[in-house]
Amino acid sequence: MHEVSIIQNVVEIVLEKAIENNFTKVNKVSLKIGELSGVLSEALNFAFKSCIIDTMLKDSILEIEKVKAVAECEDCRQVFPIDHFNKLCPCCNKFCSSIISGYELYVNTIEGE
Amino acid sequence: MREIKVVTNILQTNDEITAKNKSILDEKGIYVVNLMSSPGSGKTSLLERIIAKLRNDINIAVIEGDIYTIKDAERIEAQGVPVVQINTGGACHLDGEMIKGAINALPLDNVDLLVIENVGNLVCPAEFEIGEDIKICVLSTTEGNDKPLKYPLMFEKSGAVILNKLDLIEFTNFDKEEFYRDIKALNANMDTFETSCVKNQGIDEICSWLVSKIQNKKIKVK
Repeated sequence: MHEVSIIQNVVEIVLEKAIENNFTKVNKVSLKIGELSGVLSEALNFAFKSCIIDTMLKDSILEIEKVKAVAECEDCRQVFPIDHFNKLCPCCNKFCSSIISGYELYVNTIEGE
Repeated sequence: MREIKVVTNILQTNDEITAKNKSILDEKGIYVVNLMSSPGSGKTSLLERIIAKLRNDINIAVIEGDIYTIKDAERIEAQGVPVVQINTGGACHLDGEMIKGAINALPLDNVDLLVIENVGNLVCPAEFEIGEDIKICVLSTTEGNDKPLKYPLMFEKSGAVILNKLDLIEFTNFDKEEFYRDIKALNANMDTFETSCVKNQGIDEICSWLVSKIQNKKIKVK
């Protein structure tokens, strides 16, 4: 359940930004989560509901945008979609360790008043 | 209602603390291993074997992560190397803040190799950087060869995988061919080792590999 630690960090980041922008209420929190990050949306939602009680995030909505996993071949510069078990370049069939996206874990935007 | 762009890494706080820890460890030229596996796959037993083999040539220190007990730390202490126990009190992984406290308690000027034995868990520890040079994942034959498929992130992020309890493989349906195919699909660049702690097999190979990693780090620092 490392989703709880992740959401605790999210709440801290959001509160800091909200105070900085003179918000008194946060209505929506949008996260970008990479497909390969190993973080489960359902568990994030569950943790979020518990962690926002008694904060200005109370009643806010959590929006999770998944980020596709993409790699770039070091040899032929081809950019292609990957998953955990397939990271071979479709052109030269070489295993690719240069992953451009898919491990994202960040707070993208917040909405509030 | 206003929308604000935040674009902040959720693990930023951990990453910042970890970067500080790492710069302290790098400055001292200490090679750091984040040792991970499920509970009972043999992390501590491997460590006992590795320490017994290397302790006359290399200064080793250990940080033991455990939810509640000091059992593993006691085993490592019996090997005569400095050890710090971290009890996470329920948390399923170690993080930068915990490591920060632990490294302060170690004689860092006299350490070449620091092994951080993470909490036994194939999921959460994979997510948190703790200042390591390499992640090493241990899997035992009795757990089954399907684990890389079930816990891909752990194997994908590991620079080396150790297949342990090789002495028991004949009593299991562990399929080595499938296992190596799966882990190489996750990360073709990883190093692999096979060990039996009970029979003291495969320990020499890991030790000489570790020694070359430790030497490379020292050269880099100089």
